[in-house]
Order: sequence, then structure tokens, then C-alpha cells
Amino acid sequence: MVNKEKVILMTKLAAYEQGEGRKVIPIANYFRSDYIGLQLLRSFVAGTIAFFAIVAILIFYNFEKIMQDVYNTDMLAFAKKIGIIYGICMVIYLVISYILAVYRYGKAKSSIKTYYANLKKLNKFYE
Amino acid sequence: MSSFIEVKESAKRIYSKYDAYINPILKFLLAVIVLSVINAKMGYMTKLDNIVIVLVLALVCSFMPMQIMAVITGLFMLLHMYALTVECAIVGGILFFLMFLLYVRFAPKETIVVLLTPILFLLKIPYVMPIAMGLIGGPASIISVTFGVVISYLVEFVSSNASTLDHVEDGNMISRLRMIVDGLLANKSMFIMIVAFAVTLLLVNVIRRRSINFAWTIAIVSGVICNIVMLLIGDLVFEVNYSVGGLLIGNVIGGLLCSILQFFNFHLDYQKVENLQFEDDEYYYYVKAVPKVAVGVPNKKVKKINPNRPPQPQSHNGTARTVRTANGTTRTIRK
Repeated sequence: MVNKEKVILMTKLAAYEQGEGRKVIPIANYFRSDYIGLQLLRSFVAGTIAFFAIVAILIFYNFEKIMQDVYNTDMLAFAKKIGIIYGICMVIYLVISYILAVYRYGKAKSSIKTYYANLKKLNKFYE
Repeated sequence: MSSFIEVKESAKRIYSKYDAYINPILKFLLAVIVLSVINAKMGYMTKLDNIVIVLVLALVCSFMPMQIMAVITGLFMLLHMYALTVECAIVGGILFFLMFLLYVRFAPKETIVVLLTPILFLLKIPYVMPIAMGLIGGPASIISVTFGVVISYLVEFVSSNASTLDHVEDGNMISRLRMIVDGLLANKSMFIMIVAFAVTLLLVNVIRRRSINFAWTIAIVSGVICNIVMLLIGDLVFEVNYSVGGLLIGNVIGGLLCSILQFFNFHLDYQKVENLQFEDDEYYYYVKAVPKVAVGVPNKKVKKINPNRPPQPQSHNGTARTVRTANGTTRTIRK
């Protein structure tokens, strides 16, 4: 016999899993600190690649000038300067990523509440 | 007005019922338009400038998520730039790369904004973008619109300087690269556009979120006015010579397009017909879940009763009878 209530419940669960839940469930499966940590790590990698890509373009763009001045420049000071700019950029980018990750995690957790409640109800059919 | 609302409601009903078919068709049409416009404006790679390729790619786009369409369009642009000069492709590629790396990770849905902006620029109505994104996006959409404007100006610079770029001697890659970057950075018009669009987007978004009557309409109108004023001020201060007529007409068309968007705004989380498959220990279920609002609203027929209609003689049912009066005229007496 098909159980009507169970079918309705399962339909709701499946609709959530295939719709909104597709993005939310993977987020909600993490612990809060794990999710935020992972996002920050990704941002760090992406930000670093992007920063050095920009630096590479700037060097390429000013190639002739840099080649002329190469013996007159204090390489250590130059590297220090780039390091400071890199640090500032990364802090800004990571703060933005952190705020976004916290916001997303909170939103995912509140979105998934009904889903978990329905899962519990479904579980009762098997007890 | 009520007929407009009826049209909207029936459109909504049809869309929520058949969106499994309508969405791919719309995506297909969008992809055909986008790719054809790119081909028409920057068809440097003759192999790509072919309707068969456009149709095949559009077909692929129609079954894929929007992000895939964005990637395909981006590659399409890059290939055309590559055919012109490698340096264009490098600059464009780096722009796309930075955008994907830094921003798209957070807002993958906005990728399409970045690619639609150049298309709207080519169609001379980029003014739609800040207003539309202010209405349906958030303040963060400023970033995607800005990227879109930069890419539009890159495309414009490339197409207007195609012959010059072609004639710079082959070996000198750095000078060509410098020429492109300088051309882009020296373009005041681009920076004015970016600032004007950012302010407009923010203003539209702030007004749209207010809980006032007609918030959407007020947002659109003030967006159009703000855009025009900002661009004209920029034009006066930096003397970039925008075509004032084009600016005014483009903005008004942009506003009109946004009112259509407002009219058909389906609140994005509309309920749709779901076709689901799942199983338990005993059965496989193939369920079609139809939301109650999407079920056809019964067609109500309202019978009009006209109060001014002259009374009909009703002799046969016995409720009224005609009598002759003393002065020779006839009168109907109702019981």
C-alpha cells in the first residue's frame, strides 16, 4: 500500500533537494568553522594568484623601464613594498570573504531547518 | 489596467507550467542574439563567423546552466580578439581570469551580467544594466556591471583600432600590449560610465528596497534621471563628447525596458511544476507536483446587468397586464 502522507513528505524533501537545497545542503553539512576556514583558504589561493597575475602584467607593461633601472633599484626595498601591498590587499579580500562566508552559512542553516524537520518526520515512519 | 494584470497572470501561469520548455528556448534565443552580435561587431576569426557554429553553440547553451553560456561567450570573444592580435586576447583573458578568480566564486549568477553589458553597449542601450541590476540585484552587482563596462570598452577599443593594431610591427609585443592598456586607461568616458552606473545602481537599489507605494516605478524613473544627469555632468567636466540625443533616447529606452522587467517580475522564487523521482524500500515514485497557484484559475464569466434597459412587456407569465385607460392610451400594470 502506498502511504499518502509519506509520499507527500518525500515529495517535499525531494523538491528541496533538487531545488534550493542543491546549494544549501553541501554548506550545511560542514561545521561552521570548517566551512569558513575552507572558504578563507580558497580566497587566499585565488587572491594570491590574482595578485601575482596583476604584478606580472605590471612588470611586463613597464618591462623596458625596469630593465633600464635594474641595476639602480634596491631589490630588497622593492620586494618589501610589493609584500606590504600584497598583505593589505589580502587582508581586505579575506575580510570580505569572511563576512560573506559567515552570512552564507547562517542563511544555509536557517534555510535547511524545515528540511531537517521533515526528515525527522519521515524517520518516524520507519520506527 | 485590469487586462494588463490578466495578461501578467496568464503569462505567469503559462510560465510556471511550461518552464521546462520555455527556459531552454529563451536561453537558445539569448545565445543566438549574443553570439551573432559578437560576430557582427568583432568577426575577426572568420571560422567562427558562421551561422552553423552559432546555432550549435546556442543549442549547447540552451541545455546548460547560464554560467556555461557566460564561459562560451567569453571564449568566443577571446578567440575573435586572438585572431586580431594575441595581445588583445591576453588583456581580455586576464580581465576574465581575474573576474572569475576574485568575484564569480561569490556570485556565479552574475557572470551573465558581465557578458550582457558589452552586448547592450553594442546595441547602444547599456543604460538598462545599472537600473535592471539595481532592481533585481544588490549593491554588489556594481562589481559585475563595472567589469562589464571595462570589457565593453576593451571591445570598442579593439574594434575601432583594429587596423592600427594590425600594423604595429609583429615582433613588438610589449608596445602593442602597452597601446591597448594605455588606450583603455586613458579612456575618461569609461571611468565616467563606471561612476555613473555605480551611483545609479545604488540609488535604484536603495529606492526599490523602501516600503513605499510604487517603489519600483520611482526607482526606475529616478535611475533614468540620475544616469542622464551623471553622464551629462561627466560630459561637461571632462569633455568626452557623448552624443546627448543618443544618451537621452538610450536612457528612456532603458527605462522602458526596465518597466517591462518590473511588469513581468515573477519574484524569482515563483512556484513551479516539479517533476520528481525518488524511491523508498518498496516503490519507485515518479511524482509531478503541481503548485496550487499554478492550477488554472477558473474562468469566471460575469453577466452584465444593464439597469437602464427599458422594461420588456411580460404578458405571458401573468405578472403584468396591459389595460386601456380612460383617455384612450394603454398602460402596463405590474403586480
